Amino acid sequence: MEVAIIGTGVTKFGHHWEKDQEDLLVEAVYSAINSAEIELKDVEAVWCGTFYPFSGVSGNNFSDPLKFFGKPISRVENYCATGMDNIRNAIYAVASGAFDIVISAGVEKLMDNGSRGIPFIEGIFPPYMPAVSAPGMFALSANRAFKEWGWTKEDLALVAVKNHYNGARHPKAHFRREITVEDVLNAPMIAYPLGLYDCSAVSDGASAVVLANPKTAREIVGDEYAVIKSIGMAVETIHPWSRPSETFLSFPATVKAAKMAYKQASIENPRKELDFGIVHDCFTITELINYQDMGLCKRGEGANLIRDGVTTIDGDFPINPDGGLKSFGHPIAASGVRMVCELAKQVLGKAEGLQVESAEAGFAHNLGGPYSVSAVCIVSRA
Amino acid sequence: MAGISECSVYIPLWRIKRDEIAKSVGLQSLGGERSVAFWDEDVITMGVEASRGIRRIEEVSALVFATTSSPFRVKQCASLTATALDLPSDVFTVDVTDSFRAGTSALSIACNMVDSGKFDSVLVVTSEKIPVKPATIYEQILGDGAVALLVERDGKAEVGLFKTHTKTQPGAWMRVGDESLNDFDMRVSARYGFAQSIQSSIMGLISESGINPAEISDVVISAPDPRSYYGVLKSAGIKGGELFFDSVGIVGTAHPFLMLADRLGSEGKILLGSYGDGSDAFLIDVKDKIKTNLKKMIESKKEIDYGEFLHVRGKVGEKSYPDKPSPVKYWRDEKSILRFYGMKCRKCGVVSYPISRCCVECGAKDDYEEVKLSERGEIYTYTIDNLISPGNYDADGIHPHVVAVVDFEGGGRAFMEVTDLYRAKEKIEIGMGVERTFRLLNEKNGFRYYYWKVRLPR
Repeated sequence: MEVAIIGTGVTKFGHHWEKDQEDLLVEAVYSAINSAEIELKDVEAVWCGTFYPFSGVSGNNFSDPLKFFGKPISRVENYCATGMDNIRNAIYAVASGAFDIVISAGVEKLMDNGSRGIPFIEGIFPPYMPAVSAPGMFALSANRAFKEWGWTKEDLALVAVKNHYNGARHPKAHFRREITVEDVLNAPMIAYPLGLYDCSAVSDGASAVVLANPKTAREIVGDEYAVIKSIGMAVETIHPWSRPSETFLSFPATVKAAKMAYKQASIENPRKELDFGIVHDCFTITELINYQDMGLCKRGEGANLIRDGVTTIDGDFPINPDGGLKSFGHPIAASGVRMVCELAKQVLGKAEGLQVESAEAGFAHNLGGPYSVSAVCIVSRA
Repeated sequence: MAGISECSVYIPLWRIKRDEIAKSVGLQSLGGERSVAFWDEDVITMGVEASRGIRRIEEVSALVFATTSSPFRVKQCASLTATALDLPSDVFTVDVTDSFRAGTSALSIACNMVDSGKFDSVLVVTSEKIPVKPATIYEQILGDGAVALLVERDGKAEVGLFKTHTKTQPGAWMRVGDESLNDFDMRVSARYGFAQSIQSSIMGLISESGINPAEISDVVISAPDPRSYYGVLKSAGIKGGELFFDSVGIVGTAHPFLMLADRLGSEGKILLGSYGDGSDAFLIDVKDKIKTNLKKMIESKKEIDYGEFLHVRGKVGEKSYPDKPSPVKYWRDEKSILRFYGMKCRKCGVVSYPISRCCVECGAKDDYEEVKLSERGEIYTYTIDNLISPGNYDADGIHPHVVAVVDFEGGGRAFMEVTDLYRAKEKIEIGMGVERTFRLLNEKNGFRYYYWKVRLPR
């Protein structure tokens, strides 16, 4: 199964007070079809991801903003992994031969919810369960990793510093300022031990990819396209805190999704066979655990990768050359789609921010909920 | 004959010095300190906590709950308490209320139930968290707490003669919606309401029984305030029991039993008197000593200042809540929520929480037995969340929400709020032991959601 990415479109991520979801979606979609040199009418079907509904809890989230009527559109939602699951659905439609050209898009407007952090949705938890914020969910892992492996707040800070360094060099990133370890350590506490700079940005934004079968892709763009080699996805429990076997030191959904994606692409050692990766760094601790779950190192050694500079842009295996969610921003459904846009640009040597040197193939990882949903895909040059 | 065979006291962890109240509001200090229920405690949660100290709780066939400060106009404290105590649904429940005498009324009812032969074991729960208007004298006089008594046939402390005296005026009252007690003149209440009533009931009891006052080893009478109490003792020339005013305050219906708990440790005859719209008096013969947790409850404490007192009392601060949890789901899942049962999978043997048709570890469907999770556990991991406030309310920027993944002794893991932490100043660590405590989770949707939380062991 190989599906071509022939167009990508990403809005600037950040606070778009003067634009709504519809405006951002139109911007990303037109940017994607323009880069693919096609017209909207050439698109046969659409998958559009939004975590927070607008224009109906339906495919109207795409039809109405684009005035794209009379064709199949599905709205996808799957927590913060909405974006990549959305792509997964679109890929299968192309791979099955049902459609030649489709769009997968994601959009989110968090700032309209008046949010300090991701706003709550009614009914996620039973009425009696104690609530916990998104940083709180991941802080449970951080405290356990500190205890188990002796990781420290300084280790976490290094992740934020690296991602801000990269993001500062990407024109579309939300936060474009470098920070220091001291900045991170001195920031206000959000959910112990995670401080302000351990948390990804809460942003507005939209992104879109035009997907095609490889034959159609060659007819339209010649050899200048990237291919999605594989995609894996797994769903675990929304109550990890109720599962006695949960260690909080690994996210089982990621381990399983990565295994699927590697197997489909016949990859045995990702560290050697791939050139770089994009991980879902919603919090600094998440990035370190993702290193392990993605098979880049052994359990407990995630912090070594950041301490040793392995994952910096000049390192042996750059992670989040775009700045990650931490610095690029995290408009929920737009993130997974944007990660795939970034992979495609990197492998084509056309990164808008920092370019990974001789990048041929890389992975992207999208995580959602209390680490209950995870998707991993691998993209390479055609 | 009916008698008391067990007694368990619950005093909330928190205390405020009366000097601190006085300094803040400009009134004269009555000295000492009073107990203060935490924000997530009310008469039901404290009643449950007191009752959990009763060892033979599973033998109880009736529960009589006495309070004047129920959070509900319509809803029984007794039924909710019985459910949290995991008593069977055929247990008889009733609330006795509307006067500080309701505690001894409950004891009288319980004894009559046992003496009738229809009930073997009756739990009497007395509990108070009387609302007080800031800067009134009652703010200093009253305290919060609960006492539970197990009344059985031939209990260790025989409850003998009973004498009551009804006098509706004068005395304190509270209308619906009042924030504090009212009285016409405390001196009139003390002299004619309290002193005269207590004299009538006790003197009646003594003359009826023909007992020689010298045979009475202790006189335990509750009082509306210390001045009235010592006034009565002085005029009668007797040495009364410890009033616990300096350490707790007057705990309404529970007060006679708080004082009684102090006397159950030695054998002898006790005169027990209560006050409120008249007076009740009992002759109690302690034939076999009863151990109570009173001392531990008095000694285990943390101090708060007046600002914190106003906050836990709900007088300052904002509690906002966008979500509306379903009371229907709350009702449907009662076994897990209020009775705290998890499940033990018959296939893989794992104990998990809450009860669900499919096992969280192996997925086995409908193949489990319901198991009650233990009282104690250990923190597996935790966080101190500043984006949410205790009770799942929106963050107020001042009170962080401490939540922990708790592994219970004997199996079962649950995600729980750690309570009795004001502004999360205490150090929380992985591996710390915690114990369950029944609390108000939150008040949303016009409903009060009760649930179990954990606290550092007292």
